[in-house]
Amino acid sequence: MGPQLSWYLVLSAVLFTIGAAGVIVKRNVIAMFMCIELMLNAVNLTFVAFSSFFQDVSGQLFVFIVMTVAAAEAAVGLGIIIAIFRNRESLDVDDASIMKL
Amino acid sequence: MTTALFIIFAGLAIGCAISMVSQSNPLYSAISLIGVFLSLASLYVMLAAPFIASVQVIVYAGAIMVLVIFVIMLLNVEQSESRRKRLKFLVPLAAVMAAVLLAETVFILYTVQPGAGRLLEPTSNVGLTHSIGEGLLTRYVLPFEVTSILLLMAIVGAMSLARRSPLSATARVVPGAQVLAMDIAQPRGVEDLRAVESDTSADVARALGVDPQTIKEEG
Repeated sequence: MGPQLSWYLVLSAVLFTIGAAGVIVKRNVIAMFMCIELMLNAVNLTFVAFSSFFQDVSGQLFVFIVMTVAAAEAAVGLGIIIAIFRNRESLDVDDASIMKL
Repeated sequence: MTTALFIIFAGLAIGCAISMVSQSNPLYSAISLIGVFLSLASLYVMLAAPFIASVQVIVYAGAIMVLVIFVIMLLNVEQSESRRKRLKFLVPLAAVMAAVLLAETVFILYTVQPGAGRLLEPTSNVGLTHSIGEGLLTRYVLPFEVTSILLLMAIVGAMSLARRSPLSATARVVPGAQVLAMDIAQPRGVEDLRAVESDTSADVARALGVDPQTIKEEG
């Protein structure tokens, strides 16, 4: 007997939890960004697991769309990070606690 | 056999994820995150999703992480910042919220009946590039097009966000070297936006031929 669906779901939940805890704990804005990527990947694993176990390709199409959204998020998010660094000379989120640049 | 592979790759993914959160150097956490992506790609192969696995390696571990590492190296921040003024309650809060998330998972696993669903046979074509392309261009063609518009907006947004505006008082310092415009060193001399690159203020003063005190006051 191979891996069950629930195993993949548990793995995905654990990865998502680690990512969520990381977003709260980390203070470097790039590290927080990477924790968000980890959470997106945990959700992708859920999609692919369901898609494979229920033999429906729709889940993998959503993974494809999530990946493009993640790429767009990376481009815009890193642009914002560079803008913050240029204005504050710091990557610490505590230094960027007000919206005004 | 597949069980052993699952345990290996799942352990690798969780280990790399924990390493990513616990590292203090963002470059090391980026490399750990690449480890998570690669082990997830292996799991996708085990789930009979070869297209998603290859896209995971090419787009995530390739393009996105190269961009992240590029920004980390571009913004080469000093690592040895002292742990100051961090909100004290955040670490216990993270532990509590992680415990809640895991408790929800355990609850679902114990209450929901294991129902239908078994891993598809290797002869199935779900997950091959052909079926994914067919799905994207027939049933899901609207989300596909909306995604392309989203990517266009992201390109324009990233360019307008990261573009350097004409040198202003807040844009003196760029990563790598100090850049001072002539008009910042000498506020009288407007219109002279000649940038001077150097590593120290004294070098800038020498290059501009001004009093070093003038520059120091600006900082």
